[in-house]
Amino acid sequence: MKLDKDQIRMVIALFVVAAIAAILLATTDIITREPIAAAQKAALRQALQQVLPEHANDPQNDKITLANNNVVVVIYPAKDSAGHIAGLAWEVVAPDGYSGSIRILVGVRPDGSVFAIRVTRHQETPGLGDGIVKNHAWLASFVGQNLGSRIWKVKKDGGDFDQFTGATITPRAVVKAVKGALEFFKQQKTAIFARLASAKMNHQAGGAHE
Amino acid sequence: MNKSEIFADGFWHNNTIFAQLLGMCPLLGVTTSAENGFWMGAATLLVLTGSNLVVSMVRGVIPKNVRIPSYITIIAAFVTIVGMAMNAWMHEMYLILGLFIPLIVVNCAILGRAEAFASKNSVSDALMDAIGVGLGFTFALVLLGGVRELFGQGEFFGFNVFGESYPDVLMFILPPGAFIALGFILAAINLINRSIASRAESRAQADALSKDIPATVEAQ
Repeated sequence: MKLDKDQIRMVIALFVVAAIAAILLATTDIITREPIAAAQKAALRQALQQVLPEHANDPQNDKITLANNNVVVVIYPAKDSAGHIAGLAWEVVAPDGYSGSIRILVGVRPDGSVFAIRVTRHQETPGLGDGIVKNHAWLASFVGQNLGSRIWKVKKDGGDFDQFTGATITPRAVVKAVKGALEFFKQQKTAIFARLASAKMNHQAGGAHE
Repeated sequence: MNKSEIFADGFWHNNTIFAQLLGMCPLLGVTTSAENGFWMGAATLLVLTGSNLVVSMVRGVIPKNVRIPSYITIIAAFVTIVGMAMNAWMHEMYLILGLFIPLIVVNCAILGRAEAFASKNSVSDALMDAIGVGLGFTFALVLLGGVRELFGQGEFFGFNVFGESYPDVLMFILPPGAFIALGFILAAINLINRSIASRAESRAQADALSKDIPATVEAQ
């Protein structure tokens, strides 16, 4: 196959355009990589602040990872000034929202009760399903509850949690996901605390003594 | 066309939304509030300015047959840069606008300006065109977002206007409300354009009359 002059010009033009675009994008990526990581960390810190009890540590520094049914769960612990675990938080995904999956940060006390929950990402209908973000009374109805103290379903399904006017699917998905989080904690509690203890030992071995 | 005509044409007479009814996807998707509309418009304005400038600079260099893929590559590069910058420095708004930022690539208004204007005009004209069209687009998004936020939630740019007791009118927040609000806005724009046109016409008539009437008026 032989290219004529026009075709070669086309190839060169497209190549140059694409090459310049690639250089520009790579430069922007280098410039923005750290600010993006910092912004994500700040957003996570703010969210963690809302679902964890008062703490003296940086939960993101002390995070541990645990495999749960082939899914890696990142757990952020909150420790008081004496180093005792005051609460734990991790993100759960409710795959069955009304439009797409809902990501929820669940904060749990060591006794297995909910400290607080916050929805970190969702695409639910504004004004209907987004009550899971805006309806503070509904979010508060989770606080202090454990697996035994509530029937973990919306009222329409015979449970203890309110659904919203015009939106049942969204709160149902959230309730189910939070219940799943509490069940995970109940099953894995020993493993989680063992991991936290060993992480602490490693930390102490490497750093200064208390 | 001089610079101010180019601007007026892009901003008002050929407004992407109000006159051409293009770019409906971001328009209906993000205008649940005035603020969302504003930042979506600003992102589009930036991309449009960049793409118009570059396309105008390389006009005559890019062979005709590969101009569309070249323009799309240029536009996609600017969209990605704007998206990364928003992710880094306006993280919260980036999460709210989400998918609509990358979708600026396929906003037909931007490729349309590259193809119809920037590829045929000087760099300074292309810049003026981008500013006019971009501000016109932003104006349209803020107007529709403002109307929907005001009637839907009783707020404007997050400030409470109608008081706490205002019952949220859900319909304005949902997509059908966007179409209905847009319809009323288009009707209002057409009324304004018509009254401008009829005023100009009657002034022209008055000018024409005043040339031969004075004699009769004085006689009375």
